Amino acid sequence: MQALLSYDQSPPIAAPFRFFLTAPVFGILAGVLLLWSGADLFASRWTPEALALTHLITVGFMLQVMFGAMLQILPVVAGANMARPLWVSGVVHAAITLGTLFLVLAFLSFLPYWFTAAAVFLGAGVAVFIAAAAYALSGIPATSPTIGGLKLSLLGLAVTIGLGVALSLSFGASLNLPLLQLANIHLGWGFVAWGTVLLAAVGYVVVPMFQLTPAYPDWFGRGFSISALAIVLIWTIADFAAPDSVSMFSSLAVVAVAALFAGITLNIQWRSKRARFDATQHLWRVAMCSALAACAVWLLAMAVPALGEWPGWPLLCGVLLLFGGFVSVIVGMLYKIVPFLIWLHLQNQGQGRVMAPNMKKIIAEQAMNCQMLAHFVSCALLLLAVFWPEWFVYPAGLALIVAHGGLLLNLLAAMSVYRAHQQKIAAVIAAQSSQPHP
Amino acid sequence: MNTIRELMSYDHRQCDELFVAVEKAINERAWDTAVTVFSDFSKAMLGHFKAEESVLFPAFEERTGMRMGPTQVMRGEHAQMRELIEAAEASLLARDASDYSGYAETLLIMMQQHNMKEENVLYPICDQHLADQFSTLLPKLESGLHH
Repeated sequence: MQALLSYDQSPPIAAPFRFFLTAPVFGILAGVLLLWSGADLFASRWTPEALALTHLITVGFMLQVMFGAMLQILPVVAGANMARPLWVSGVVHAAITLGTLFLVLAFLSFLPYWFTAAAVFLGAGVAVFIAAAAYALSGIPATSPTIGGLKLSLLGLAVTIGLGVALSLSFGASLNLPLLQLANIHLGWGFVAWGTVLLAAVGYVVVPMFQLTPAYPDWFGRGFSISALAIVLIWTIADFAAPDSVSMFSSLAVVAVAALFAGITLNIQWRSKRARFDATQHLWRVAMCSALAACAVWLLAMAVPALGEWPGWPLLCGVLLLFGGFVSVIVGMLYKIVPFLIWLHLQNQGQGRVMAPNMKKIIAEQAMNCQMLAHFVSCALLLLAVFWPEWFVYPAGLALIVAHGGLLLNLLAAMSVYRAHQQKIAAVIAAQSSQPHP
Repeated sequence: MNTIRELMSYDHRQCDELFVAVEKAINERAWDTAVTVFSDFSKAMLGHFKAEESVLFPAFEERTGMRMGPTQVMRGEHAQMRELIEAAEASLLARDASDYSGYAETLLIMMQQHNMKEENVLYPICDQHLADQFSTLLPKLESGLHH
């Protein structure tokens, strides 16, 4: 009830926006890294550059936007307000931004103190966020699958980061851990128990909402996130304790979870009632197709020994899942969330006296479509770079810089519309209040 | 329709259908149809707001004593949606598809996030507190919704 009473209090605009504006900078850095490393990055998934690139996208891009979006979505879907949002977002943002940079330096230098620093900053930043979100969500009944899904995704994130911190510290303090095995489990928790569960929880509301599709099936809402988490947990235990065949079967189940989400989402999107598709819809569709393609590559690599021995297949999966999947979907969501939030804040500030510009005046449709194309080109070039790194690594790096630079420009343009309109509101209100009363 | 949540959520979906019908007509450049369907949409939305503001919210406020709480927030959002409906209608009458789509997109998200708060938070609480008034409340709400 306490939360309900205050559920209009959406956080100040600076709280989510510092995350949203930082994310594309890491995307640009990912492009710079490709230019700097050249074709060597693609030798295997374990090269320092490939690990650095992966974390620039997962922690630098995905985690940033997901935190910003969660700050915003908790009050709307769950009536859960984070206490002191500006303080929490400030601390968390600073910690994970520095932590990501330290982690990239750590992979590129392999110096233990960078790993320790990354573990401390990322661990602390994520812990503060999870604590604040868990506190806000405590006592909120799960009246919709989204609320349950958000809670479980926080658990998935906690395990992912916990494993990441353990891995970093093992480099920093030379602990004797089974690194490759733990790294795989870290990845499974990150992609499925955190990423997919969070995306499913949010998609459950925003796909029908933005795209006017039928709702996700009831059983999906009731069972998806808890089953996903259970399957990842079983796979984790099997990987340590069970014979290879059981562990293989359970990893198949983990991949099936991701494929199931992508398949159902595509199916309901197919039945969208909207008359014309916008950038968000295209980005979601490409993302789901790309995720399904990643699952197919994984399956083929398990089934066809010749493919399984090729060191490029995990990179292919990674590009499809991270850039084609998560980055696409996140850009698509930003193109709804950012203009809407700016409109909402301006509309509230205008006090009914000055009408806020509509969403398409905040980020122009043309600008979103161009950036979307640049992003798709960057995905295609990255895929080609997996096969022919010498030929395509530089075009792919440049394309990433262009795509994420374009995203940053679109978000900054939205911010400048915000500022300009704020001045207009101030001028109108000042003029009205200085008029003598009749 | 045995609960407030069911009845009012169903009406939300009816409004969505009309919203889509306008978009479809505009996409086909059938302006006259679009104007007619938009007027149905606008009537359905305003009817829904009115049923809430004059029947449901007062009953909730009376029962819980919360007058400046969630219902006040919902009234504020209704006011914002009324403005967007007017702006969308003006651009529709001016046959400005691009301006219409900007206002409509904003209205759609405003509507959907508003519906989500009502369906997930407010209606369940209304159902909880007003269960003994269903026999009078539900018919009153239903007659306000115009379907």
